[in-house]
Amino acid sequence: MNHDGWLSALTHELRRRGVAGDAARQVVAEAAVHLRESGGDPMRVFGPPAAYASAVAESVGRPRRRPGEVLLEARGITKKYGRRTVLDDVGLVVRSGEIAAVIGANGCGKSTFLSICAGLTGADKGEVRVRGSLGYCPQDGGTADFLDAGEHFALIGAGRGMAREESARIGAARAAALDWVPARGAQARHLSGGTRQKLNLVLTGLGEPDVLLLDEPYQGFDKGSYLDFWHQVWQWREAGKAIVVVTHLLNQLDRVDTVLELSPARKAVA
Amino acid sequence: MDQDRRGQWLRGVLAPCVLALVAERESYGYELAQALDAAGLGPIQGGTLYPVLLRLQRFGLVTASWRDGTAGPARKYYRITADGRETLRHATADWQEFSAGVASILREGR
Repeated sequence: MNHDGWLSALTHELRRRGVAGDAARQVVAEAAVHLRESGGDPMRVFGPPAAYASAVAESVGRPRRRPGEVLLEARGITKKYGRRTVLDDVGLVVRSGEIAAVIGANGCGKSTFLSICAGLTGADKGEVRVRGSLGYCPQDGGTADFLDAGEHFALIGAGRGMAREESARIGAARAAALDWVPARGAQARHLSGGTRQKLNLVLTGLGEPDVLLLDEPYQGFDKGSYLDFWHQVWQWREAGKAIVVVTHLLNQLDRVDTVLELSPARKAVA
Repeated sequence: MDQDRRGQWLRGVLAPCVLALVAERESYGYELAQALDAAGLGPIQGGTLYPVLLRLQRFGLVTASWRDGTAGPARKYYRITADGRETLRHATADWQEFSAGVASILREGR
């Protein structure tokens, strides 16, 4: 790979990992100077762009804005299905500019908890307060089989008070950021599971809701799109949103602000 | 030297060595790589060196500024901070104690 090709790939991979703007420009410029002085193949001197970008992202850490007011507060949430207690007195507070991860084994009530926060499932006890508007991305479903992506953008956008052109423009840009160019006329039922989840995720963010509830929305994503997803989440955090991500993957936990671990037993602890 | 072993050892000592070099005088990445090589640590690739410099910068042990070199392109120069000197002092003392221990054990086992 020549220098320019490698450097431009590096820029792209850095952006995927949340290193952008001046920080990224400096890293790329420094690598360019080094290559000019040392000569040699960038793949040997720095390694593959993705690997070097990961090392850089880990080293610079993540600049943080200060969390703001509380946008989501769940208190004393208790939910039983029959005699089985799924959630027992679970609480979570998420401020503007914060990411909360909800983790735990399968069947421990992660999706139920999120659905209660979204107001779609009733709790037996407890209270959820949301300040501002809310976007919810379910684990599956949430799309209409016979509509294409553009029609989804228009439909959901309209529900959030957006003009059709604006919805189309923002929807296409957000899709592109997830490495997806929606084809006109391709109905949702013909999309792969991963692509349908990308559609779901784009729809969740339309109209800039203040609180985002994401239920493992990256299923079926390849590694690159998975990184793009986290980049989107960090951008939302920078924009001052409160984000809750249900996940069973632990490798991103250093990138979130709060972790709520639900226990798989009858008793759930916050 | 066995390259795997060299890599493992380097991971532990590269940051203090870089800190010690910029404590002498401010320097830039490629020059630091050459100095480390000349001191006998072997060739250090950019992919290894710059993440170390970024971490030192992140923890406030060095500061960096872009300047035109006397000859050649603009470069990012690194300079040690007061915190960096303090860290270097501790690291040096720790290393001396640790390496003396290693040396004495390896001597015994010869």
